[in-house]
Amino acid sequence: MMTDDQHPADEQKRDFLRIALVGSAVAFVGAILYPILAYLKPPRQGEVEVTTVKAGKLSEIEKDSGRIIRFGNRPVILVRTASGDLRAFSATCTHLDCTVQYRKDMGLIWCACHNGKYDLNGRNVSGPPPRPLEEYRVVLQGDEIFISRRT
Amino acid sequence: MMRILRSIYAWMDERLQLKGLMEYMGKKYVPVHRHSIWYYFGGVSLFLFIIQVTTGILLLLYYKSGEALAFESIRFIMAKVEFGWLIRSIHSWAANLFILAAMIHMFSVFFEKAYRKPREMTWLTGMLMFFLALGFGFSGYLLPWNELAFFATKVGTDIAGIVPVVGKPIMTFLRGGDEVTGATLSRFFGFHVAVLPGIFTVLLGMHLLMVQRQGMSEPLGHRAEEEQKTMPFFPNFMLRDLALWLLVLNLLAILAVFFPWELGKKADVLSSAPAGIHPEWYFLFMFQTLKYIPGKIWFLDGEVLGIGLFGLAGVLWTLIPFWDRKSARGEQNRFVNYLGLFAVLYILLFTILGWLA
Amino acid sequence: MKTVQRLAVTVAVLMLWAGGVAAADKCLECHTATGDKPSALFMHDVHRTKGITCAGCHGGNASAEDMEQAMDPKAGFRGVPKGDEISQRCAACHADASRMKSFGSSLLTTQFDQLKASVHGGSALDGKERIVQCITCHGAHGIVRVTNPASPVYPLNIVRTCTRCHADAALMRSYDPKLPVDQLEKYRTSVHGKRNAAGDPKVAECASCHGSHDIRSAKDATSRVNAAHVPATCGRCHSDAAYMKPYGIPTDQQEKFSRSVHGVALLQKHDHGAPACNSCHGNHGAAPPGIESISKVCGTCHALNADLFSSSPHKGIFDQQHLPECETCHGSHEILPATDAMLGVGPEAVCSRCHTAQKNPRGFAAARSMSTVMDSLRMMERRAQDLVNDAEQKGMEVSEPKFRLRDVHQAWLQSRTMVHAFNEAKFRTAADPGLVAAQAVITEAEAAIHEYTFRRVGLGISTIIITILAGSVYLFVRRLERRHQRSTVSHSHHTPS
Repeated sequence: MMTDDQHPADEQKRDFLRIALVGSAVAFVGAILYPILAYLKPPRQGEVEVTTVKAGKLSEIEKDSGRIIRFGNRPVILVRTASGDLRAFSATCTHLDCTVQYRKDMGLIWCACHNGKYDLNGRNVSGPPPRPLEEYRVVLQGDEIFISRRT
Repeated sequence: MMRILRSIYAWMDERLQLKGLMEYMGKKYVPVHRHSIWYYFGGVSLFLFIIQVTTGILLLLYYKSGEALAFESIRFIMAKVEFGWLIRSIHSWAANLFILAAMIHMFSVFFEKAYRKPREMTWLTGMLMFFLALGFGFSGYLLPWNELAFFATKVGTDIAGIVPVVGKPIMTFLRGGDEVTGATLSRFFGFHVAVLPGIFTVLLGMHLLMVQRQGMSEPLGHRAEEEQKTMPFFPNFMLRDLALWLLVLNLLAILAVFFPWELGKKADVLSSAPAGIHPEWYFLFMFQTLKYIPGKIWFLDGEVLGIGLFGLAGVLWTLIPFWDRKSARGEQNRFVNYLGLFAVLYILLFTILGWLA
Repeated sequence: MKTVQRLAVTVAVLMLWAGGVAAADKCLECHTATGDKPSALFMHDVHRTKGITCAGCHGGNASAEDMEQAMDPKAGFRGVPKGDEISQRCAACHADASRMKSFGSSLLTTQFDQLKASVHGGSALDGKERIVQCITCHGAHGIVRVTNPASPVYPLNIVRTCTRCHADAALMRSYDPKLPVDQLEKYRTSVHGKRNAAGDPKVAECASCHGSHDIRSAKDATSRVNAAHVPATCGRCHSDAAYMKPYGIPTDQQEKFSRSVHGVALLQKHDHGAPACNSCHGNHGAAPPGIESISKVCGTCHALNADLFSSSPHKGIFDQQHLPECETCHGSHEILPATDAMLGVGPEAVCSRCHTAQKNPRGFAAARSMSTVMDSLRMMERRAQDLVNDAEQKGMEVSEPKFRLRDVHQAWLQSRTMVHAFNEAKFRTAADPGLVAAQAVITEAEAAIHEYTFRRVGLGISTIIITILAGSVYLFVRRLERRHQRSTVSHSHHTPS
């Protein structure tokens, strides 16, 4: 364990050691503080996104309109009918992978890619879609609309 | 520069009598022998706990409890918050390393019989902290509200419910209802960030105070030796501790970057359990044992028996300073050595079996 | 040996029929004398040629001279059979293979069972009998072979036979209000109907497609006219080269259709929304669609494409040049999934069939430019997809750009449709948002991959810093210890407190 170091050499080494110690300690503080400070900086999008289940407020959705809501990695179309009913369907057209939209003038769910049409029960009524749209469940809690998968 | 520091020290010393404390610490020595390495694991555990507190507080800034938000908020932390992935991964990895370090610390103390008089209370507070650490692990595992955690919690609380008489109420208390739901998540969150840390801090304070008062224990038989090597606690041992802590920090960073903790799929209360549901590794040996126990042994329910035996073993293990008279008298106790060896081998074997299953 | 067997069978049959089959049919003798219609018809009935008398169906003793005796209920006389009893009388022989054999007949014996299971086997309005009995189509007393032009079910006559009911709107409404009653009218406009009217018994009539005894609703999955079976049903004649020889038309339509995007959807993916032969050619009015109407026919499903085409500059020119609209580029029976290579001026491109740099250069330039945009959209989508996959594999969170990839794909699909406007500006309205979205996804995915690298570099730097710090702390302790050692050598040993 012991070495027969000479005193002056020892001192020289110590100086080097002190530089290394102080230098790396400062760098260490930087390396720790940088991620923490970056973490504390509020992210661009201030809050966690909740669109996977929450679809907005009822009062904000007009009658006779529809909107696309992100449900995980899939889009869901939320339709409020002219009579005020809320319905949600998978927004992926069953023909190819396009996203459908609500057409006020037709009163239907419409796919722009090949003019596929679905009625407001999700049934494919015209055009190439081979199957109806999968329906999602809409739950109202006060004014808040929640969309969940049907089981 | 030095003058300013010195005057600040003098100002503090005048009010807090720091000199006495410094002198006390300067007089504290750590024995040096071939088992000295085990002394470091207590410090490593402490360091990991500090990391857990720090990263835990950081996570709290963005984490949102509740069925609808828990999973999303963790995903948000990992994707949107700068270095959020790092903080979360370090928290998860440090949690596991913490339990591992605490386990090693516990077994080293056990084999060196360091629990013997006068350190019964230190052992006791340590054991309580260890159980709390398991509680931390169990409650924290659920917080991301992913599929794996959801079912592991279901199974875990189910096992608690098996215990006769008190089991059902305990299960209901843990779950906040009959089933694992968002209510369970809220509870576990409360346990994890408020209840457990509060108790843990008190115990930790006592534990450290006692270690400082009583100094390091020496293995049995060392007293007979004439020459004893020692090392000052401050600064020698502490700086060595510090160097080791830094290496542990390095390890943590590497683990967090190269093996980022996965988030998995969001828990769905109504879906069926996916394959490969298993608890965290430190519960695995108990989980695996319960699987092997037959359904009925005589008139006893197999699982009840298993849980009873584990409970009894835990109690006996915790109370060892009070029944191991031989070590207290300074004599070798081979039985305790074999018992400890059996426990280590048993845990290793069943953890491996559980891992392979 | 054979003679003995035949004799034994004959004896047995004679006994069973208790005089039903006799050399002299006394019933017929008297009834012919009275000049009634059934007996006149029965004179050339196929059953009489087999030696079956009136008693075969009506019972009684056909050999008895005396009317009282002949029509004695004790002798089994049952008069005119009513309701389901009629078909049961027929089935007594026609469902019995050994009896049919004894008359030297090779007819199938499953007709009655088939009838019972068919749409016509349901109960009639009064609820007491089946809708259709054997005699409804075959007649009662003048039954002749199907191959006999006098038979009501002979190919040239069957149309009349079926439409006796099926063209009767009032009657059909009482059974199935949705069922049309204009099949005959349509049939007469079809190639089949015209030839049938001209006396060609080989062309398809009602039974050729619908079957005879086993007619089922088109919605029934086992029906010959169910969409899934239509190609095979039509193909029974149209794929038979020998049969179709006199007509001089191709016989490979079924084969081609099976390979087409429609055939694969219908026959392999069991997508019942996919078109079968009749979707384009019509059912009863089967004929090839006219050149100008092709886009209308295809447009019943491909509405947007058809609309776009109809308002495109191609519509007028195609009509003028007698080009068959959609078919010009996509073909007819063997329509394969459209590829991007069809657009442009490459070797697979259909545009270049008419548009070359010399001939019709404006279209040539537009085709080339649209094809370039389409290719770059496709390439960018693939690149974006690869980058997202790469980032995902590296463990980065890229669910948002992954979600946006859908927009790119959608733009691609939409621009494929928009090609049919044959207008570059319109095409760009569909394609451009896709290019923008793809670029955004690529940027985000690249940022994620960059972040991945940044993490590793950051880790490397901090690992070095921490290692140096740990090393220097350790060396520092060692130094302290060495110094301490030096000082304690000269002084005394410490003892632990």
